[in-house]
Amino acid sequence: MSKLTTTDLTKRFSGLVAVNDVTFNMEEGEILGIIGPNGAGKTTFIHLVSGILMPSSGTITFKGKDITYAPAHVRSRMGIARTYQLIHPLENLKVIENVMVGAVFSKDKSLKEARKSAEAICAELELGRLERDTAQLSILEIKKMEIARALANEPEVLFLDEVMAGLNSDETKQIIATVQRIAKERKMAVGVVEHVMGVIRELTHRVIVLEAGELIAEGTYETVSKNPRVVEAYLGGAA
Amino acid sequence: MKLKSSYIAVALAAVVVLAFPAFLGAYYLNVARSVMTYMALAISWDMLLRSGQISFGIAGLFGLGSYASALAVLRGGMDPFASIIFAAVFAGLMAFALGFVILRLRSMYFSITTLALMEIFRIVMHNLHDFSGGPEGVVLPVVIFNGDAPALYWLCLAGLIITIGVSWYFEKSKMHLALTAIRNDETSARSNGVDIFKYLLIAFVVTSTLQGMMGAIQVQSYGFTAPETAFDANFTLLPLAMALLGGIHSTIGPMAGAILLGIASEWLKLQIPYGHLIVYGVIIILVILFMPQGLLGMARKMIRAGRKAGATHE
Repeated sequence: MSKLTTTDLTKRFSGLVAVNDVTFNMEEGEILGIIGPNGAGKTTFIHLVSGILMPSSGTITFKGKDITYAPAHVRSRMGIARTYQLIHPLENLKVIENVMVGAVFSKDKSLKEARKSAEAICAELELGRLERDTAQLSILEIKKMEIARALANEPEVLFLDEVMAGLNSDETKQIIATVQRIAKERKMAVGVVEHVMGVIRELTHRVIVLEAGELIAEGTYETVSKNPRVVEAYLGGAA
Repeated sequence: MKLKSSYIAVALAAVVVLAFPAFLGAYYLNVARSVMTYMALAISWDMLLRSGQISFGIAGLFGLGSYASALAVLRGGMDPFASIIFAAVFAGLMAFALGFVILRLRSMYFSITTLALMEIFRIVMHNLHDFSGGPEGVVLPVVIFNGDAPALYWLCLAGLIITIGVSWYFEKSKMHLALTAIRNDETSARSNGVDIFKYLLIAFVVTSTLQGMMGAIQVQSYGFTAPETAFDANFTLLPLAMALLGGIHSTIGPMAGAILLGIASEWLKLQIPYGHLIVYGVIIILVILFMPQGLLGMARKMIRAGRKAGATHE
């Protein structure tokens, strides 16, 4: 079943077209890779579907409902969660409270219930000592905290915007394994923006490729990586 | 252990506060009321500050409550006690209406707008001669409780306790998560289901209601108000200084700051009339420069340092 669909989605910043006529859909339980060179519009695309930016034209539907202009907090309550390329810790809240925010406001849980589910999610991600301030966390722990917070929203669709950036390969593997397991358990659709091709190959069922705001290719990692347009645009001289 | 000591502290404070009228004369009860009024304003200012919004309009809502209460009694023949509730609700409703517009603003734009609103309220009251008494203000026929000093003390204390209670609720409920998330990172808050506008509006309406209530209690206790009294800039500046000195983003910080600065200002007023404002300014500057987290922040730092020292000794 199709969870999230965009039709001719376009975002213009005065002269620049950051996302151009993108039509795509995400199925229940699939892990989708979103790749493309720097400035291709990947993050803008996630801003559009998560409601941080409003599109210039086109439509977005979630489970058949038009959410094109729904505010971000309404979308997260409906079941679309995300993390950010740049970290966004809430520095005056403890680690556990950071994670609880998602459960309290997206799922209307009481503080007690939210604490319980936040603890469970953190345990799953092997994030401990939850009464700490965020300033005491390592970069890996902050990234885990932000994934935990997104998961606390109990989303049906989750976007991870370059969570692996800045992590070493062991840490990356650990996060990949967790994301895969949780996605499978919850039948969650996951969109992953990533520059490390190894991660995309291992993690995703399907890949879409953006270049200069346009969707230029779609398919499994194997087919997409052999697509001459993709090779030229994305992999460039290296391939 | 920690819980026990805080219970004892609260019980001790309660005993002291409840015993005041039995031991203190009218003058000192008056001083106590002044300190309690400023304390309530400092706490209410801090409650909105927890969302990151800095209001310079405390005196505006305070004065609005004063006038609403005085005029309800004078022009509407309302019972003085009922007029306090009326004024609180009125201030809250005004904040609700204004909030729809001004809560779209952030940082200094919000601050300046609240300051301007205060001026507008003052000028309106200044110029509505027939209704508000113009620059001379209004005199009430009777002071509430016939001016009985202990009764006025209890009334002011009740207003303060309501304020502390609401502030405590803000600290312990999901308001704490909402306001802190908004203050720290609005993008992150939105992505996690926080309806930013709703929580800002709740905080603005609630704090304005409390400020209006304290204004009404003040006017009913003195039986008089005028534009320059009700909208006195001191009602904005002193609570701000108190909260900064005590430590922002908490209930206990503004309380501590209000006790210290409130008592100091009464003493200074007697020592150097008018000069006390200079001392105030110096205190604000010193606090911002040397302990931006206030006394509370300093105490926390010392406790943490103490713990660390203890840990290394073991």
